[in-house]
Amino acid sequence: MSTVNTWTSTQHFWLIILGFFVAFVPRFLPLMLFTKRAIPEWFNEWMKYVPVSLFTALVVKDIFINSESYQFMFTKFSEMLAAIIVVFIAYRTRSMALSVVVGLIAVFLLSMVIA
Amino acid sequence: MNKRRPNPKQVPDPNEPLWRSTLRVAMPLNLSYIPIGLACGILLHAAGFNTLLTGLVSLLIFSGGAQFLIATMLTINSPLLSIVLMLFFLELRYALLSSSLSPYLKGQSNRFLFIFAVSLNDENYAINYLKFATDKKWTGKEALMVEHYSLLFWAVSNVIGSLIGSALKIDLGIVNFALTALFIYMIVMQIKNRLTIVICLISGVLAALCMMLTKSTLGLVISTLIASLIGFLLESTLRKRLPDSHWLWRLHSPGSKKSAVENTDN
Repeated sequence: MSTVNTWTSTQHFWLIILGFFVAFVPRFLPLMLFTKRAIPEWFNEWMKYVPVSLFTALVVKDIFINSESYQFMFTKFSEMLAAIIVVFIAYRTRSMALSVVVGLIAVFLLSMVIA
Repeated sequence: MNKRRPNPKQVPDPNEPLWRSTLRVAMPLNLSYIPIGLACGILLHAAGFNTLLTGLVSLLIFSGGAQFLIATMLTINSPLLSIVLMLFFLELRYALLSSSLSPYLKGQSNRFLFIFAVSLNDENYAINYLKFATDKKWTGKEALMVEHYSLLFWAVSNVIGSLIGSALKIDLGIVNFALTALFIYMIVMQIKNRLTIVICLISGVLAALCMMLTKSTLGLVISTLIASLIGFLLESTLRKRLPDSHWLWRLHSPGSKKSAVENTDN
């Protein structure tokens, strides 16, 4: 994270407004439509795989892709190990807060030992 | 929750005011929002958001995943269009959540649906879905109160995180892992059968390839679309040709007492 963002607060503001619309429409339209009629099955089936694909892509980006050159990298060993620990904690406890806190502690301790 | 003995929390006290009974339902979620909200506020501050805008984004977008995504994409200087597109694909899943809540909100006014949709998110959905499914007296009004409590805790934690972020110098590389951990948690919560694990692997490889080819986070959008489509097609073919395939067997997690809430597709 060496690059510092150069956006102004006005740009941030417009990002929030646009973000609000893309966040609001998927929450509101189905409620509007489906409190009145039935849900198309294929849409449900397809939507089911969007979160899991997206989150995996984001994790791969965080751990294996260099944020400046977009090249593949296999150097973040403390993050990789911490990620495995988080998978285990999430699987065992199903607690979001615990997964995040343990993950942060793990990456902090591991980065002192490894890198 | 103990299934054998009647849980004292489940016994309604007729004299208890509504704001307190709904607050009690919302409290576990509210408390778990505090550390995540603080981390999110710190990250948004590091990404250049001022405290006022951090409060605004928490109120208007109100989605941990989306706000973490904004923070990361800003720190890697993604273009506005790319961030909004990613947000759109990330938030598309809400279509699924609000679709599945809609049977319980039949007959509500459009104004109510509007207010309800604004403060809907993954976690308060989970609580409300469970309450709607198990408690006959749970109505839209109570559900909306739970949403507003969680919104309040989320926004306040974010603002405090933003203030902490401006007071302290924090190693961004490490705090950034909060978001990686959050996404890993969400993946684990989404895994319901072996096929989902295959989709994860496909999505991971595709994501790396697409990002290396496009040299931008647009690769994330492309790989998400392809991977989710592959998942959808694989599952429907499997269900048609091999309905007993072990790829479709459910996986049970040891701590899966909450899984009844997350399994919305059945």
